[in-house]
Amino acid sequence: MADLALARGTLDRARLLRLLQEYGVYAGVAVLLLFNFAFTPYFLSTENFRTQAVQVAPVLVVALGMALAIGTEGVDLSVGSVMALSTSLLSLYLGYGPWIAALIAVLGGIVVGVANGALVAFVGVQPIVATLALMVAGRGLALVLLPQLKDVRDPGMAALGSGDVLGVPYLVLIAAALALLVAFVVRRTTFGRQVLAIGDSRPAARLAGLPVSRVLVVVYVCSGALAAVAGILATARLSASDPTSLGTLMELSAITAVVVGGTPLSGGRVRIGGTVAGAVLIQLLTTTLIKHDLPPSWTQIAQAVVIVLAVYAARERGRR
Amino acid sequence: MTSLALVTACTKSEDDSGKNTSGATQDDAGQQVASPSTDSGPTCTVDAYGGGKLDLKGATVGFSQSEKEANPFRIAETASIKAEAQKRGIKLLTANAQSQFSKQISDVQDLIAKGANLLVIAPLNSDGWEPVLRAASAKHIPIVTIDRKINATACKDYVSFIGSDFVQQGQRAADQMIEATGGKGEIAILLGAAGNNVTTERTKGFEDRIKEKAPGLKIVFRQTGEFAREKGQSVTENLIQSKPGITGIYAENDEMGLGAVNALKGAGKKPGDVKIVTIDGTRNAVQAIVDGWIYGVIESNPRFGPLAFQTLDTFTQGGKVGQDIVIQDSSYAKGNAQTDLGKAY
Repeated sequence: MADLALARGTLDRARLLRLLQEYGVYAGVAVLLLFNFAFTPYFLSTENFRTQAVQVAPVLVVALGMALAIGTEGVDLSVGSVMALSTSLLSLYLGYGPWIAALIAVLGGIVVGVANGALVAFVGVQPIVATLALMVAGRGLALVLLPQLKDVRDPGMAALGSGDVLGVPYLVLIAAALALLVAFVVRRTTFGRQVLAIGDSRPAARLAGLPVSRVLVVVYVCSGALAAVAGILATARLSASDPTSLGTLMELSAITAVVVGGTPLSGGRVRIGGTVAGAVLIQLLTTTLIKHDLPPSWTQIAQAVVIVLAVYAARERGRR
Repeated sequence: MTSLALVTACTKSEDDSGKNTSGATQDDAGQQVASPSTDSGPTCTVDAYGGGKLDLKGATVGFSQSEKEANPFRIAETASIKAEAQKRGIKLLTANAQSQFSKQISDVQDLIAKGANLLVIAPLNSDGWEPVLRAASAKHIPIVTIDRKINATACKDYVSFIGSDFVQQGQRAADQMIEATGGKGEIAILLGAAGNNVTTERTKGFEDRIKEKAPGLKIVFRQTGEFAREKGQSVTENLIQSKPGITGIYAENDEMGLGAVNALKGAGKKPGDVKIVTIDGTRNAVQAIVDGWIYGVIESNPRFGPLAFQTLDTFTQGGKVGQDIVIQDSSYAKGNAQTDLGKAY
């Protein structure tokens, strides 16, 4: 089947696939939006868009860090555990006020990031193994620090979770600001260029004299810090610290968003716009199925289909 | 280890000065048997099970917990077993399987090897118990399972099962929902985790009772909240936007119900706008009844200690015990939430 199509018109097919990979995710978002405008009652309301944006914010923030890690041909599986660790630390230190507690939570994420980065850059452990170790350790530590769900009553955290500026929730503003920041770093800074160079070929980057180890550590630190921020945002939204369930399977959601957004797992390329759209696509997909009250197993199947499509497009690119 | 000490050395959480809210310190509302009394239903005795009588006083009891004590139910369950063992002056060995079934099997084998004469097991799964049951029956160790059943023959492989009737919990939740809504309108169900017998039975009891007693009440939405507050919240946020006319939400555990409360608050609803009925009876949920957000809570009593040891005591002295001991769960509503808040776990 594939051979037949290839024989007929390699050029057109290649171009089509490239277009699919570049803009497929945006098309997917557009299709889902149009479908919902037409068939979902009460979808076209500011309240609804607000809800969708608030729900996607933590996933998006995690996906930004994941995009950086994947850009270096790595991956960060510890993000979900870092969220749990962050919510535990936040709850433990909230007595000092929300700012200090949030700072400590982010510090926790940075520490995990340093450990990840050191294992990958200096010890030479495969990223998937190194971050898997910290995924297990992080969740364990989070549960040692805070064994069960604890309510958060701090007014500052409550404001962060439900407050807004001119109708735009704080959570959405923070996620948008971080997305712009990461996009700027990737496109316009030396560090961004170094990340992509390392992702393309680590030996070449090293031969070119780039500070490979340092950049790798910074990438995993960024990923850890962003996951910790996502943990804080999710805690504020829930108005409770729940280290047992917060962030479970978050690494998979984040990887899905990044890959669907057109960032290849082989590194060397980071698409922040696509990552944002990827996260939105998954959110809309889940929402559509929930709003139409379809069985939850359908959501998983639908997600799988989207991932397969995205990976298929990426595969063709890798072969060229 | 040092770094952990550093992390925890100067913590200061929100209510360090506050009271301890964990299960151990509350008035222990021990369970009562609903059915059967020892006169009806199949029973079991030492003679039928094999092995000899023994005095519980000098015995060693092994307790195998299935999930880590991270949720109020498990915390209260373990605390209740420990408290009762201490009260009766019995040596108790405990193990926790951390939600891994293979670990629970080896936990129980360890308990037997360490010299437990009697076993209380809170099983993670119903199946796969053959190796343990074989080891136990070789030594004629009586086993009582609590909160979940194991698929084996009562009075041969184990003595009794003590637990709640989840179908009945669903039915009673339906009764409260009918009372709250007047039997009319559209309602939603927040299902528990998929593929779990608690979820299926609580759903079945609820749906059947609604169909039978209040045909005017339509279930228009069934989505899983996976027994977690966060998931309950995000699903409810979508629910109240796509179906603004919803009159009631049945949450199959308290955590999802509290998530639904969060979602309603976020959408600017007032307490009582949407009637919420939940199952479990945790302190937070009962407090939410006092605050007006939740209409009613059906209890699922985790305090198995007194009844489990009483059963073992009767059994080891040669008395008759029921094979299926269903416990009496109470419920909370506006009328008793304030006064019974201390009984919630």
